[in-house]
Order: sequence, then C-alpha cells, then structure tokens
Amino acid sequence: MAVADFVITLLTFVAIYSLFGLGLNLKFGFTGLIDFGHVAYFMIGAYVTVVLTMPAGPAGYGGIGGFALPALFGALGPLGSFLGWVLGVAGGMAAAALVSLAVGIPTLRLREDYLAITALGIATILTTVVNDEEWLFNGPFGINTVHAPLRDVFPVGLGDFTLNMAVFGVLSLAAFGLLGYWIARVFRRRGRRGRAVLGVLVPLVAVWYFVLPTLSGGTVELTRNALWLFDPTAGPEGGMDYDRFVLLLSLAALAGGYWLVERTINSPYGRVLRAIREDEDVPRALGKETFRYKIQALMLGSALAGAAGALWAINIGFIAPDQFAATITFYAFTAVIVGGTANNRGVILGTAFFWGVRNGTRFIDVPSQYSIQLAAARLMLIGVVLMLVLYYRPEGLLGEQEYEIPLPSRDGSGGTDDV
Amino acid sequence: MSERDTPTSTTDATPTDSPEIGDDRDPILRVEGLAKRFGGITALDGVDLAVDPGLTGLIGPNGAGKTTLFNCLTGFHEPDAGRVRLYDADVTGDEPPAVAQQGMVRTFQIPRELAEMTVFENLLLAPMHQHAERLRGAWTRGDRFVEAELAIRDRAREIAAFFEIDHLLDEPAGSLSGGQRKLLEIARVLLTDPDIVLLDEPLAGVNPTLERKILGRIEELVRDGYSFLLIEHDIDLIMDNCERVIVMHRGEVLTTGSPADVQSDQRVIEAYLGGDDV
Amino acid sequence: MVSAGLLDATVQGLITGAVIAGGALGLSLIYDIAEVPNFAHGDMITVGAYLALVFNNPAAIPFLPAFGSVPFALAAVLGVALAGGLGAAYELAIFRKFRHRDADLITMVIVSLGLALVLRNAVLFLVGSKNIQYRTQSVVTTDFDFLLTRGGVTVVTTQRRAGELVTTGEWGYPWWLVVAGLLAAVGVGYAIFALYREEEDFTTVYLVPPRILGAAGSVATVLLVGAFVRLGPQGTDYVLGTRIGLNVKHITILAVVVAAMFVLNVLLKTTDLGRAMRATADNTDLAEVRGVDADRVQLVVWVVAAMLAALAGILTGWFATNLTPNMGFALLLPIFAAVILGGISSPYGAVAGAMIIGLSMDVGVYLIPGSSTYRVAIAFVILIGVLLVRPDGIWGDV
Repeated sequence: MAVADFVITLLTFVAIYSLFGLGLNLKFGFTGLIDFGHVAYFMIGAYVTVVLTMPAGPAGYGGIGGFALPALFGALGPLGSFLGWVLGVAGGMAAAALVSLAVGIPTLRLREDYLAITALGIATILTTVVNDEEWLFNGPFGINTVHAPLRDVFPVGLGDFTLNMAVFGVLSLAAFGLLGYWIARVFRRRGRRGRAVLGVLVPLVAVWYFVLPTLSGGTVELTRNALWLFDPTAGPEGGMDYDRFVLLLSLAALAGGYWLVERTINSPYGRVLRAIREDEDVPRALGKETFRYKIQALMLGSALAGAAGALWAINIGFIAPDQFAATITFYAFTAVIVGGTANNRGVILGTAFFWGVRNGTRFIDVPSQYSIQLAAARLMLIGVVLMLVLYYRPEGLLGEQEYEIPLPSRDGSGGTDDV
Repeated sequence: MSERDTPTSTTDATPTDSPEIGDDRDPILRVEGLAKRFGGITALDGVDLAVDPGLTGLIGPNGAGKTTLFNCLTGFHEPDAGRVRLYDADVTGDEPPAVAQQGMVRTFQIPRELAEMTVFENLLLAPMHQHAERLRGAWTRGDRFVEAELAIRDRAREIAAFFEIDHLLDEPAGSLSGGQRKLLEIARVLLTDPDIVLLDEPLAGVNPTLERKILGRIEELVRDGYSFLLIEHDIDLIMDNCERVIVMHRGEVLTTGSPADVQSDQRVIEAYLGGDDV
Repeated sequence: MVSAGLLDATVQGLITGAVIAGGALGLSLIYDIAEVPNFAHGDMITVGAYLALVFNNPAAIPFLPAFGSVPFALAAVLGVALAGGLGAAYELAIFRKFRHRDADLITMVIVSLGLALVLRNAVLFLVGSKNIQYRTQSVVTTDFDFLLTRGGVTVVTTQRRAGELVTTGEWGYPWWLVVAGLLAAVGVGYAIFALYREEEDFTTVYLVPPRILGAAGSVATVLLVGAFVRLGPQGTDYVLGTRIGLNVKHITILAVVVAAMFVLNVLLKTTDLGRAMRATADNTDLAEVRGVDADRVQLVVWVVAAMLAALAGILTGWFATNLTPNMGFALLLPIFAAVILGGISSPYGAVAGAMIIGLSMDVGVYLIPGSSTYRVAIAFVILIGVLLVRPDGIWGDV
C-alpha cells in the first residue's frame, strides 16, 4: 500500500473525528458543558442515517427500517440519490439533537460535575439499549448494509488513462500547492519557536512522504504519492476511487461544520455562550436566559456529532454498538484539550495528533502477540500527554482562539472586538 | 446618557396604593412580607419596604440580611413568603433573567467580571434583546445586525468613557485592578437599560478618590433618571448622599426615612452600637 | 421446591450494594476532602484487584515468575497496602501539583480521566485482556428455604454437594416466636436509640448516629434470635415460600464493608487527623490558617482512598470470580451514582447510597422481566429521578 493510501485513511479519520470534536468544543470549550456522553450522539447520527438510507428489510437485519431515501430520490439520477443521502444525514443530525434535548432538560440544571457523570451514565444506557434491543437496530449484530452515497459513480474517470492522470494529477498538485502556501503563511506569522517547530516537522513529513517511498519503491511510488487523487488501479483507465471521495466528502463536512461553529461563536450569541462558561450568574443577572443557550449549544454540538457519525458509517461500511464506547468521548476530550480548548483549529490539530499517535504507530513492527501491549502503550502515552499538557500548557497547543465579529469597518480606534 | 424622566424628590415615606401607573411619585419597587430561611436560620423575617425613584441607601450591620434581600429580589434566591412588585408587575419568585428583563438588575458584592473576555466584550454582553443574540440572528446576520451591533458598540464605548475605563476596552477583564472591576460591574449593568439598579457594596474597599468618582457618577445617573438601591456599610456616606435610607437589622426593616430622621432614630443607634457588628 | 423470590433479590441487592459501597467509601472521601470527582477511582479498583493477584496467583501474570501462591487473605492485605503506596505516588506526582495551581473542578475531572487511561492500560499492558481468577477455595452456597406455614415459619437448608442436593438442616419458628422476636427487635432498637441520643446542639458529633445504631440493634436482634432459638419445623405445607442463597462470600463482603465503613468513621471522627480532614473538607484555606497541614491531610486521603478502592476491587474480583481490565470502570457509574445519592460528605451516606443503588439494581431486575442487562441503567434512572427533585442529592451537599 502506498503511503498516500495510508495518509488518505488517516486524514479521513481525522476529518470525521475533528467534526465530532468541533461539536464537543462547542459544548465544552465555548459553553463549559462537560458532556461525557458525547459519543451517544455520534452513535445516534450513524444509526439513524444508516437506517434512513438503506433499503427496506435487508437480509440479516431484524430492526426498524430501512427507509431507502436515496432509492426514493434515485429517479432523479445520481444527484437525486445523493440528495436522499443528505436528507438521511439531516435526519441523523436531527435525531441526535432531539435526544440531546431530552437528555439536557433534566441534566443541564445540575452542578457541572453531576452533569458530567449523568451524561456519561445516560450515554452508557443508550449504548446498552442499542446493543440489547434487536428489534430496534439489530442489536449486537450491527448493520452491514450501509448505504454508500454515489458508490456506483466511482471510480470516476474521464475515459483515457493519460487524461485521467493529467487532470487528477494537476488537482493533486494544486492541493499540495495550497497546503504549501498555507504552511508558508503560518510560518511567517509564527514566532521563533513556532518557526523552529515547523522547520523541523515539515521537512520530516516531506521526507517520509516523498523521499523514503522513492528510495524503496522508485518513481512509481513517488508518482503515486505525489498524484494522490489519482489511483492507477481504479478501473481500467485509472481514476479517482471511492476512498478519495469519502475523504473529500469528510473534508467538505468538516469545513461546513467549522464555518457554522465559527459563525455561531463570533457573534453576540457566542458572547453569551462564553459568558456562561466563565460565570453563569453574570449573564443571568443581565437578563439572558442561559438555560436556553445551554440547550441550544448542546443540541448543535450533538447534531455535529451526528453528522460525524453518518460519515463514520460510510467510511467503515459497518456499524455496531461496540464501536461507540465511552472511551471515544474521552479521546475527543483529549484531542480538544491538547489542541487548545475553545479553539476550533486546535480541535483539528489535537485530533490529528491523537489519531496520528494511535494509527501512526502501526508502522512500528511488533510481533502480533504483543498487539495488545502496543495498543495499551499508545493509550498510556495519550493519558500521560493529556496530564502533561494540562499541567504545563493548560490552554493547549494553540490556546484559546481569537474572536472577531466582522463588521464593515468604521473606525479603528479603541475597542475593536478582537482580543 | 439616554433620555429619561427627571426624578422628583420624594418626601412621602409611606408607600401609597395609588393605582396610577407611571406616576413618578409611585415607588418603583415594593416589597411586602418577604421572608427567607436557610435551614434553621432566618435571614429575612418579613421585610416590607418601598423604593422610590432616585438614590436610596440600604444600611444595616453585618448579617442584617441586605445581600440576601438582593438575592431574593433579583431571583437568585426563591423567597419563602412575601411579594416583590416592580411597578405594577409581580416579579416574586421569577428567575433572574426574567427580573432583569423587567428592569431590575443587580451588581455583585465581589465584582464578577468575565476574566477571559475583554472589557469591551464584558460590556457588549449586557444590552438586552440584541439582534444576533438568538441563534438564528447569529447565523443569518444582515444589515439590521450590523446596525444594531454598531449601535451597541457605540453605547458601550460611551458608558466606558463615562466611567473612565475606555482606555482598557481591549484588555482582558481579568487584568483589571479591584477598583476598575467595580467600575466595569456598574457600567455593565447600566447597559441593560434598567429602571432600577441594586448596587451591592460598590464602595467597599475602594480608595477615597475612586469612591468620590463612583458617587459622582451615580448622582449624575440619578439626574438622568436612573434609580438605585445602594448597600453600603459606611453610615456617613449614605447619610451624605442618599435622599432616603432604609435600615435593616436582623432580617427586618428597622426604619425608613430621610437621612436626618434615620440618624436620630434611637433604634438605629442601638442596632449599630449594640448589634452584631462588634 | 421453593424458588428464589423478592427476598432473595433483596439480599443479593444488599451484597451488590456492599460491593459498590466498598468503592463508594473511597470515592466519597476524595470527592469530599480533595474535591476531585475522581474518574480514576474505577480503574484504581481494577489495579487493586490485580495487585492482590500478584501475590495470590502470580502464574497468571505473563511477566512474573511463578513464585508460588500466598493465601488469599494475606494477598488481599498485601495488595491493599501496595495500593496505598500507589495512591501516595499519584497524589504526590499529579494531584498535589494541580492542587497547588488551584486547578478548577473541570481540570481535576480531566486529570483524573488521564490517570484512568494510564492505570487501565497499564493493567492491559502488563497482564493482557484475558480473564484471570484468584486461587481460592471453592465456596459452597447454602440455600435457605423459608416456608410460611399455618404453624409458623419453617426453614430448610440445602447444599449442592458433588452434584447432589443435600438437605443440611431443618428447623422452624412458631408464630409466637416470630412475633416475640420482632417485638424484641423493635424494643431493642428503640431502647438503643433512646439511650444513646443526647441533647443535640451544633457541637454534637455522633460516632454512629443513634438512628443507625438503633436500626443495627434491631437487625442484630433478629439475626441472633433466628440463629440461636431454633425450634422444631412447623410443617412443610406452606402458604408462601421463598429461597435465599447465601455463602461465605456474601457474609464476608458485607462484614468487610461494614467494618471498613466503621473504621473510616472512627478515623474521621475521633482522631486528630480525622478532624483535620473534616476541617479541610469544609474549608481548606480556613483549615490551613488554623494550622492544618493540608498536604499531609490530602496525602492521607489519597492513600486511604486507594486502599479502599483496592479492597473493593479484591472483593469484586473474588465475588465475580474473575478479573478483567474493565471491571473497575464498569463499577464506576454505579459508584458515582451511590456517592451522589448519599451526599458526598459522609461514609454512612456513601454506604446508604450504595445500598439504595444495589437494591434498586437487583430488585429492579427481579421485578422487571428481561431487564438483566439494564442493571446499571436502573441505578441511573433512580439517580436522575432523585436529582430532578433534589439537584444536590438526597441529603444535599452539606
């Protein structure tokens, strides 16, 4: 497997879990709600989307549905089918939001530590229900008839091998160009320490991605890694395969979620959320109905987790209750805190770090009987990093983000909104 | 400052039951039989009082129940008995946001600035019914939002300048000095455009210069039509600055009246000399 | 024959409650005095159980040489002692540092979560995920059949020996004795309550609250009368019959947890250290002003809590007959539920909360057919129901 394929798998993971983390950041980072049951909404989003989009009563499935939304809209062509899937995702997000509403009404009135514990308890109960009630979503057997949107369309090719390679190759290189431009911009803005970190990291990654594969696999490997969107083995003439599409879809969803959270936070509404996080009595004394804000933040964060769940389902192609253990929530907390609580970019950075450590260590060769030890060591490392970050850099790698409500500028003197 | 009715000086100490609404001579706030117990301790034991427009002082020895009274008035505590009326509206037992929306806001004894937000953001939080304070408004935005936000910013800068904290707008509120926090606390509640502000010891622990400044500002605001109920320990300060004084002792209102009346009241002297203050 | 009924579910619930109480005692101590909602407590339970395993059954641990086996009771003591050392280690290395930084509650929660990850995965790393058992003697369960007949109550005890059901005893209590026994129980309970109670004021601190002492006296009377005044069987033609299965594990667990509760209570209420601990719980700053060495108090708290966690882990591993790296975390939710229900500030509250949780789990499963996988869910429904009415727990956060 080319390094590109590994990177694509990893990036898809990171994109999905970043979306999940953005939802958590809205609850925890910006509003101060410790929702230890966040994974429940990931699960609900995944299940409801899958059930809404898969064909009715597939073999080996004894639960509710499916409702075949894509097939319903399939008459409109592939885009109609895609629309059906999007509606399914909307259903999954709505379900996640509604369940969090039902959970939030009793629990959001509690002390913050009691909220954390009851949220964890309710999430555990929800997973137990999905696991034990076969009539609901097939219980422990899970669902393997996950509808993959636009699956038939892929691999996408433009007919001719050379043309495919040229078009997707140019797109791939354009993506690298964009990445390079972005890194350069970040580099220029950072202080000396940031520059040193980037100056070491970027060449290392470049060597790992471009030079090492070339040394071991020659120019063929180099080409495959450089033209990452193009898969020569996909279809007779090569093209873009489905994994790459899922990555792009996940990135698009992440971008959408990022935009939405940023817009929510950088507004008078966001000011109230942050005031609640710091001292809820203050906005209450100023006439803000904080309970409503907390419920909405909870629902919105849960809906984002639900969207992440829907993407998770198509990425894995199979869902079962044991994929949604409480530990997933704790991983997301780690990612948010390491990257920077109340920093949406930090969430993405922290998630990349977390899953990089978790999945990147698979390149370490250990005999298979020690695989449990390796997994355990990774998690111990993550636990240690979490505590070290909390002690030495409690604001996380990036610190709290800056806030700005963009307005047509009128005067630059005193009292701009940014920190 | 916004346009307001000029407060008339009130000499009439007894609350009238005049049904006319909006009459300046009507008390803004009327409290009847307010009681609050914590476990076996009676903090408020049937408080009756009326607050007229203008600046009213609330004094009493430690443990007299002044802060508990504020908490019960503004909804932070649920009173066990009694009524709280704001103009003609019954706000007894309302949640704090509801009380604030009806025009009665309070400051906290120890200023509660939102430390990680800037001074400016602390102020911008306060105005009521902001356009993008609702989720939908925050998402859609639009010209009305821009206008509203600009107006709020102007007003926040104006009030910050009034309290001479405008040079600190971009600082995190957590970096302010104690006195600046007191100013921010008062500036912030004023941005809610209240009818009456309950000030919980805004002058405690403040140096004499700042004390004069705060009192001066409050007087100016009273002239603009705001009303204040002011808790203060220093009996002389109250006597010198307030039009009317309410004295509390052991969870009850001991007496109400003009500074001169109160000063000569034997019970007040006893409460202070022989009370739990020592 | 008679089948197990509500009474058996109640007894099982008490045992479950005792196991939860073992964990709840330590958790409430940390919650109250160190003010850390310690999510690592569940995993400390696991670690404690495995520490005893090191001595009791080292052959089960891959990297250890099989150096023989220490009797279970001794292994338990050694394991608890080692756990105390581990508790001291993480208090000194982690929690003390965060406390000196005045870390807030949320930070402490997340720190404990990080510690939980490390502890659980350390077990996984060193031992792996297979099921392991202690080396103990097998325990025979005695079934007590209680038969309500016209003449009174008949008790028949049976045991399974080598596959055969053997009747090991048969006796009874005529109705007059039952009534007399119950009256005596009520009388003894009330007498203790009345004699022990003092004129109350703010300074009254009971070592054992009179109500609890009275209730304990009543229960003890019933058990004593039942054990010693055994008369002839009152016939087997029963109107109502129920079965309770008991073995030495049940009795030991109950006894150990009650003893731990009592010792902790004595520690808190009669020693200088205990007074310092309670003062710290009320107000750390004030306690320090009055000359309490807060760091020393906290160290003791974490050590004692870790030992209690280990005790709970060993009892759980023994009771459930196997150890898994997940056993403690699975217990964490019921334990938290118990601590919050009982109010976080007293050992009795923690145990009472644990008993309520344990009873509601087992009795709930008995009453609602097909609900056996929802044991924890039932506990949580109870907790959330209580919190809805009283957001600070039954007795509040005193």
